[in-house]
Amino acid sequence: MPLLPAEEAAMRAALDVLRRDASVRYAEVRFVENRSERLRVRDGRPEQASTSGTRGVGIRVLGEKTWGFACSPNVTEGELVLAAKRAARIAQASAGLVPSAVVFPEREASRGVYETRMERDPFSVPLDEKMAALDAPVRELLRGGKPISSADAWMEWVRVEKRLLTTEGTDTTQRFTYGGAGMECFALGEGGVSQRRSYPTWQGSDGFQGGWEGLAALDLMGHTGEIRDEAIALLTAPPCPEGVRDLILDASQVALQIHESCGHPTELDRALGSEISLAGGSFMQPRMLGKLQYGSDLVDIVADSTSEGGMGTFGWDDEGIASGTHPLVERGKFVDYLSSRETARTLSRESTGTMRADNWNRPPLIRMVNVSLQPKKGSFDDLIADTKDGVYMLVDKSWSIDDLRLNFQFSCEAAWEIKNGKKTRLLRDPRYTGITPEFWRSCDAICGKEDWKLFGISTCGKGDPMQIMQVGHGAAPARFRQVSVGNTGGGK
Amino acid sequence: MTGEELLALCKDSLARAGEAHAEVFATWRARGCARFSGGELGQHMDLDEPLATVRVARGGRLAETQTSKLDVASIAAAIAEAAALAPLLPETEGFPGFAPADGPSPSPHRFEDDTAKATPEQRAELLSPVLSRVRAAGFFAAGMLETSIGAAAVATTEGCARAHTETAASFRVWSLETPGAGGAAGYGGHMHKSVSALAIERETERAIRMCALGKSPIELDAGRYDVVMEPPAMSELLEWLSLISFGAPEVEQGGSPMCRLNERITGEGMTLVEDATWDDPALGFGTPFDREGTARRPITLIDKGVAKSILYDRTYAARAKTRSTGSARLGETGGLTSLGASNLVMSGGSAKSTDELIAGIDRGLYVCRLHYVNGLLETPRAVMTGLTRDGCFLVERGKIARAVGNMRFTDSFLEGLARSDGMTRDRTAIPSWWSAGGTIVAPAVRMRDFMFNGRSQKSA
Repeated sequence: MPLLPAEEAAMRAALDVLRRDASVRYAEVRFVENRSERLRVRDGRPEQASTSGTRGVGIRVLGEKTWGFACSPNVTEGELVLAAKRAARIAQASAGLVPSAVVFPEREASRGVYETRMERDPFSVPLDEKMAALDAPVRELLRGGKPISSADAWMEWVRVEKRLLTTEGTDTTQRFTYGGAGMECFALGEGGVSQRRSYPTWQGSDGFQGGWEGLAALDLMGHTGEIRDEAIALLTAPPCPEGVRDLILDASQVALQIHESCGHPTELDRALGSEISLAGGSFMQPRMLGKLQYGSDLVDIVADSTSEGGMGTFGWDDEGIASGTHPLVERGKFVDYLSSRETARTLSRESTGTMRADNWNRPPLIRMVNVSLQPKKGSFDDLIADTKDGVYMLVDKSWSIDDLRLNFQFSCEAAWEIKNGKKTRLLRDPRYTGITPEFWRSCDAICGKEDWKLFGISTCGKGDPMQIMQVGHGAAPARFRQVSVGNTGGGK
Repeated sequence: MTGEELLALCKDSLARAGEAHAEVFATWRARGCARFSGGELGQHMDLDEPLATVRVARGGRLAETQTSKLDVASIAAAIAEAAALAPLLPETEGFPGFAPADGPSPSPHRFEDDTAKATPEQRAELLSPVLSRVRAAGFFAAGMLETSIGAAAVATTEGCARAHTETAASFRVWSLETPGAGGAAGYGGHMHKSVSALAIERETERAIRMCALGKSPIELDAGRYDVVMEPPAMSELLEWLSLISFGAPEVEQGGSPMCRLNERITGEGMTLVEDATWDDPALGFGTPFDREGTARRPITLIDKGVAKSILYDRTYAARAKTRSTGSARLGETGGLTSLGASNLVMSGGSAKSTDELIAGIDRGLYVCRLHYVNGLLETPRAVMTGLTRDGCFLVERGKIARAVGNMRFTDSFLEGLARSDGMTRDRTAIPSWWSAGGTIVAPAVRMRDFMFNGRSQKSA
């Protein structure tokens, strides 16, 4: 149900109360309605068929010295005025524990409407059509029986309506439609050995901003044979040998590598220490801007909230900053952060427009937008042909990185040994590990546009209490020289 | 809003909707969160979390809807929406219907008035000496003080009716050498039902002490080390073990260590119980029924190292011809599972203190916390990886010798526990990462020959 006129009036009334409060320097009143649908079929039977609708208003207030936040699920004048007063009271209560007042640079008001472009509204697609689209690949994955022990497929659709009003006069309306789908199968071998293969990415899902047509583009049915056969083959494949090898990552793994080792450490609130209570700090400190050689000359990483179909695409962030494109790493050099108005000012810079909250009952935080590695040239086949002795790893299985985002270790679902420019044998349980800048400095090849893809993650966690956000990463297969690789034997 | 008020709402909504077979699970939480960093209180929030989840069955066809509006009209509308969806869905194999009226669920003490009435001003007042003390020690403070009141209720058309109200207060504090750029860090944390019972001063002093001890770390080579892990580190490993192991779906898929039911899967010292009903004043947390209304009871998952029980909701239990363990829950973040443990309790040992465990190590590590653990590497063996955080120390001849830079481990947690030869008698409750209202109770544990396969660096 879109925002009703009476509800808009209630939001404006709350804003008026805050405008009249002399202690309030700035305030946002943000309506969010979140509607979602989650469907899952496991082993031929429905595992989940649920819809959800949540709506309410969040109010963030900058008082004389610092912030306060309160919210209400009841979008009435009485409730929102109370929430506004509560937010102002919280800001006041906190003022004694802030040595100097937050400096929040003024901005001109933003106004306008943003809406996801799509061909077919997923919320208008009949439920039986959706279930059939999941049931068919699951049946195909299970065809042939053992050693496949289980298979499942799922899809998720989310619609977010957002209205932002601020004391600066910002008035934006945004309507997002996100989708995602994936599948996985498990093969069970002798002695309890288990292997999973999923498609299209880690934990199966790939997300996008768009309509039903996005599901067709993923083509689950077209990939069932490949992942079923590979899951079975992995049961008897040799483990990835330990050693230092040239490493090629598939595009989805590069996307996750960007997420963990570039996206998170370039969040300026993390670098300044605001995220300690959940995820830690960042090795990418402000004094390194323009100086740190983060990667090789090939590495260009861009924060882009305008990419068509990206999960990190929008019209304006939750502070009213218009979407845009901002280089984070240029020719390997660290040049900018994902930032907010408050944090960017500490570096005498402009906000890169990344403040987003995951729902009405959470305050906005700096979140990744579409943080993407720019494509270079050459095809994936060229890259394999150009590699004499290496390992090609694909689709993440586990991920772990330290609290400064330096030491990482990823394991993947599968790997191929590469000898003299050819994929020679399948390897199981591969993992690789490294230190972020050393790793990116060893990047000596990134494939071209033909192999570049914009991936979507709908489960990026940050904040305390944790917020879950949609973000995007464009990536192409890439090669990294002399990386420590091995298997997940874990002490065996 | 209390659990009883929520229950009345659930019942009225069912009556208004008039469906023959329906279930309403309503939860509400009001959270006051004072999050501080860089030595100041920068994020202070009042968060309202209302949610009603309804399910309607038409035979074996089952649909679910949610709404954040907790009033009769909105919940009845959600029931009508689910009723419209259900006939369009395939049958859920084994669905046994919604929970009937049953005996009362346990009613452990979970509510403290002081927490329910905590104000933003009180939270700020409690934090003031924390920030001052850490600053005076020459460090930067970060962390969170949260006070919350929560309620839950379930009603079904088959007569099940349950209600619960609880409070929780938690305090986490870091003392840091730099605000966000690494360096020494010390951590303290405590949770309780009563905000007045939080050991804020004790934990702040602990964080300061460990931060001071963590300065000027040396680098250690990768290799196998005897290790003592504090309860916050153990809780991360236990939570991952829970995610990959105990739910019936994980066992069906074949990747769980619990596929070896009634076999020894780890050391004799390991007994792990799922228990949301424990009436312990300091360590007992949890809602005594699940989202389906099944009364929870203690379930011994691992008994002296032997895989004993797995967790079921009503549908998985019916398929397995057993009864639900009260383990149904709402779908979690990332969709990992909607069936699993909520309040894990690990048994303790006989050691009187962590120092006693450390005294039994000739050369090894003392680990305060872990960071970014991942347990998806080889789930049948529970191989996990992760890093130390907020305190990693070299132990030599039974004493802490000096600070060590953060180390990465990759090893089988269950095999590590099989090499354990000491645990503390005292245990600590740690809030769950993944499950709202969930907790993990763990002792400090000594494990022999744990594999640390790498180290981090202090900076780029």
